[in-house]
Amino acid sequence: MTLDPLSRRAFVERAAQATLGVTVLHGASSAARAAEAAAAASPTSGPGFGKAKRVIFLQMVGGMTHIDTLDPKEGPTQGPVAPIATKAGFQLGGTMVKLAEQADKISIIRSMSSKTGVHAAGQYVIRTGYEQRGTIKHPAIGAWAQHFQGASHKTLPSTVCINRQPGAGNGFFPASFAPLPILDPDAGLQNASFDAPADTVQKRMALLDKLDGGFRDRFQTLPVKSYTEFYENTMRIMSSEDLKAFAIAEEPQELREKYGMNKLGQGMLLARRLIEKGIRVVEVAGGGWDMHNDIEGALEDKAAELDVALAALLDDLKQRGMLDSTLVVLCSEFGRGPKINGNGGRDHHPKVFSTLFAGGGIKGGFVYGSSDKGGFEVADKQVTIQDFLSTVGWSLGLPVDEVVMSPSNRPFTVGDKGKPVLELFA
Amino acid sequence: MKTFTHWIVSLTAIAGIAFAAPVAPPPSAVAAPAAAPTTAPAANAVFRVWTDNQGRKLDATFRGLQDGNIFLQVRDGFVHRLPLAKLSAEDQQIAATLKPEGLGIPTDPNLAQQAAKIDFLVNGGLAKAGQKPNPLATDEQFIRRVYLDIAGRIPTREEALEFITDSSVSKRAKVIDKLITSDGYKSHLFNYLADMLRVSDEANKARYYTYQDWLKVQLNENVPWDRLVQQMMTADGKLLDNGATGYLLRDAGMRLDNLSLTLSTFLGANVSCAQCHDHPFAEWTQHEFYQMAAFFGASETYGAKGSGKGMANKEMRQAIMSLPDKRLQQQAKNIARVNGLQVVDTEENDLKLPDDYKYKDAKPGDKVAPKLITWGKNDTHLRSYQEVKTKEPSELRDQFAKWMTSPENPRFAMTIANRMWKRFFGVGVREPVTDLDDVNASVNPALLQHLASEMVRVKFDLKAFTRLLCNTQCYQREATSFEPEAGSAYLFPGPTLRRMTAEQAWDSCSTLVVGHHVDEFKSWRGDKYAKAMSIDFTNPSTLADQITNAMQSMRSNGGGKGKANANVSAKKRRMMQQQQQPSMADEDADFRTTPPMLGGLVLARASELPQPEKDQHFLRQFGQSDRQIADSGNDEGSIPQVMMLMNGEAQSVISSNGSLVLKTATEQASQEASIESLYVSFFSRKPKPTEVAAAKEALAAGLALKDLTWVLFNTREFMFVE
Repeated sequence: MTLDPLSRRAFVERAAQATLGVTVLHGASSAARAAEAAAAASPTSGPGFGKAKRVIFLQMVGGMTHIDTLDPKEGPTQGPVAPIATKAGFQLGGTMVKLAEQADKISIIRSMSSKTGVHAAGQYVIRTGYEQRGTIKHPAIGAWAQHFQGASHKTLPSTVCINRQPGAGNGFFPASFAPLPILDPDAGLQNASFDAPADTVQKRMALLDKLDGGFRDRFQTLPVKSYTEFYENTMRIMSSEDLKAFAIAEEPQELREKYGMNKLGQGMLLARRLIEKGIRVVEVAGGGWDMHNDIEGALEDKAAELDVALAALLDDLKQRGMLDSTLVVLCSEFGRGPKINGNGGRDHHPKVFSTLFAGGGIKGGFVYGSSDKGGFEVADKQVTIQDFLSTVGWSLGLPVDEVVMSPSNRPFTVGDKGKPVLELFA
Repeated sequence: MKTFTHWIVSLTAIAGIAFAAPVAPPPSAVAAPAAAPTTAPAANAVFRVWTDNQGRKLDATFRGLQDGNIFLQVRDGFVHRLPLAKLSAEDQQIAATLKPEGLGIPTDPNLAQQAAKIDFLVNGGLAKAGQKPNPLATDEQFIRRVYLDIAGRIPTREEALEFITDSSVSKRAKVIDKLITSDGYKSHLFNYLADMLRVSDEANKARYYTYQDWLKVQLNENVPWDRLVQQMMTADGKLLDNGATGYLLRDAGMRLDNLSLTLSTFLGANVSCAQCHDHPFAEWTQHEFYQMAAFFGASETYGAKGSGKGMANKEMRQAIMSLPDKRLQQQAKNIARVNGLQVVDTEENDLKLPDDYKYKDAKPGDKVAPKLITWGKNDTHLRSYQEVKTKEPSELRDQFAKWMTSPENPRFAMTIANRMWKRFFGVGVREPVTDLDDVNASVNPALLQHLASEMVRVKFDLKAFTRLLCNTQCYQREATSFEPEAGSAYLFPGPTLRRMTAEQAWDSCSTLVVGHHVDEFKSWRGDKYAKAMSIDFTNPSTLADQITNAMQSMRSNGGGKGKANANVSAKKRRMMQQQQQPSMADEDADFRTTPPMLGGLVLARASELPQPEKDQHFLRQFGQSDRQIADSGNDEGSIPQVMMLMNGEAQSVISSNGSLVLKTATEQASQEASIESLYVSFFSRKPKPTEVAAAKEALAAGLALKDLTWVLFNTREFMFVE
């Protein structure tokens, strides 16, 4: 029997699964994976590969209008605010006043295209690269990175998501790969303070160790041990300086205001705090972009929040010397229609939209691809969502071509076989 | 010695009791003592030859004495009950001194034999690999496990004590019989199926309450699995009128996704790859997948168009547009959409190959004729295949359902049997349960085949099957305390040590706080919802009022988006919290309609709470499925989860003054008794002297009993099922 690399690994994993009676992702499969990696020789070098050690993944929820932000148009589709010039030579939407001053730090892809015009499905695809299915969960970029590169911190989780639910971001990887959710950046981590005075907590923990000792000795199984580890880690975080990573109140008031005193601004500031403490991937969600009605009024709030926060973030990272090693990505599930509708808003538009990259070896002041004159269709160099996510993976140094088998024996890759847009890298 | 069968007959005769003879002649592998002289009945090698007062002999093992009868189990597992006085004087004396073998006596001699067959196959698998079964579980281990496994929660302190202090030899069998008829059994099975079927309050902008209610009714009536599944596959009409349509309508407009789930869920056939391309490992091609899908090619589930009572769409649109404001119009449209969710059979099978079909055997866009997949060359000779004949499009779905749920389908019985086995033993005989593939590659093919045939024998009665599994000795063994070596098969020396499911953990927390009352509240939401959604669009003058009333009714029914919390209105909840008294203190409270509450938590079974619960709820933090992915409830830990266990609402309510577990412990006469009370409540066992000493020492050093509840709640011993 001869098997191609894919089938061979599937075979090994299957055998392991059958004999262990449990699903196997690591361990038993690593030998097969190594064998295959050698055979397939996934490209692991090239421009920008692995330059980013961390990622801040900004996802605007609702469908960010590309024409009013990153891909401005003049003429009938222009929208409420006229484009503005930037120091990098290209124009930005008139709402991006502060970002225009940082344009030398960013690259924009103006030829993104998606097949999905439905919010939840679109959000799922741009987060994972795969369409939603009832049979499997697909990992987001943080879980992929943890799979290939291990945990990024000894106590803190490797991925955090801010202003959103974790939404099975670990995909088919273990739950320990799931992003830790911070639903409100001001409130920080939930249930993180003890429900009793410190000395009571100490006595409780001591008694817990004594009373549970017999059980833990008797059942030295992996799940029991891993729970004991979770308790140890939780105690360690709760009583360590690490917990402060989540305490945004520790930041100077002036800086907090510079990011903007709203969930998106504070979320980005918290993201910076967290990557500074060693968390690898932080997702920040920003809502309110589903502008079917009165886009002018909606932009006044939402675009201004994004503009202020993103400019502050890039500046902050630069000043701390972290921008070169931190990839900042801005995306949304789709763009919005060039035509202003009867309610003064724009409707869903997946055919063409824009994303933004900065830091992590990305060129400054660069635009890749274009939409047509009105912002209706891709005019040049179409980039799929899969390409977009592969680019993020590439920047982080992930082997984006390497096939990983899920516990259900199905093959997956970072960004579902997309091609990294290498032109973005300096 | 006289012959085996002769003995049974004659003993039955002398006993003067109408024994049910073994239903079928035992399979030779089991019956022949030569084949397995020391392994059957399971773990009971102590056979001796018993003699009655007329000199007749029986080779059997001693299982115990009760009410003047002796219980003797022969090698095929059958247990005989005989008046002790009929034995020879010598054997009567021996019986009085012997320690009973095994785990007491069964309530049903046939059941004992059927359970013994399973034990025989498990033990055979272990013996072949040179492994030994685990020791038998203690009563304390058994009672906690069997409550969690059958009724989905820990026993209350009283329930645990009742069992432990019961001295009858048949108490294990009796408690199994009690639990399978309990409310908890239905609740626990509902949770399992809700995860498997992705039962969700909300999908396609509608509430699927009628579907949940329908499923609960099926479980209440113990409808056999084949009939239950068949109903889901063949249901017609509106979601609001016929909850059984919920299965197909869960994936309205996505019949390929739905079929892919149907095959993996009910037949253990993983064809999700073949949905997009030929299956890379197994045999199935994309074409074959579409041939299966063609059985649903004449069934319409896309209901977004909406429809009113007997109205054409155009008229209804006009009625909606005549409403005074946009909000009402939107609400009316939503209600019309809900009414439009229905399964309708059409005259034409319209399934076609996809536009990107790339194989040579057919072209993109080709029509596809229905054809059944097979697992083996001879499958098509089976009756389940032979019976599929009609080519009438409107009957395709019925034909498929009949084939799928047939006892002669090669995988249907095996899939549910394997799933049920996993529920009680922690691991399937074949994993994953959604991909049985080659049965011979399972860790114990003979066991898997036998479980499938048992499922057929009990006619897909899941209650009977549960009873059977729980009566086996392999189930009643200690949980495995070692980590199976990498690369070695788990052969079921006993159940694995499992972390409680999210639902078991939540229901157990609630049990600690409110005791057995936890089982009383039942959430029926389907009828109210269907009534609220039943709008007469032909009467424009009252339409606005109808819509307003419907929305009002939804809100007061706890149906408001994101606010759904059992059937308790937000106002009532606030009032209850303000009173700062748990409603359980109110003796007149009818918990069947209003669940007990404490500290803002609704202390009802997970099956009666929103499906799924909201993200921050204990259930979700502890791994309840989000109901987007089938079988995705998980038992893994996380830092936020542990923070919740240490500092969250549940621990705070359990250790609050209104909590039953703390109240009961506080009422005890001595500190030792209080500690013991907490131990029995949490672990269904009494504390060891060292544990009492450690607890007393901590109490003396400043901790209170509420701290001790916190400690016990946070032990691994609490959250794992031994």
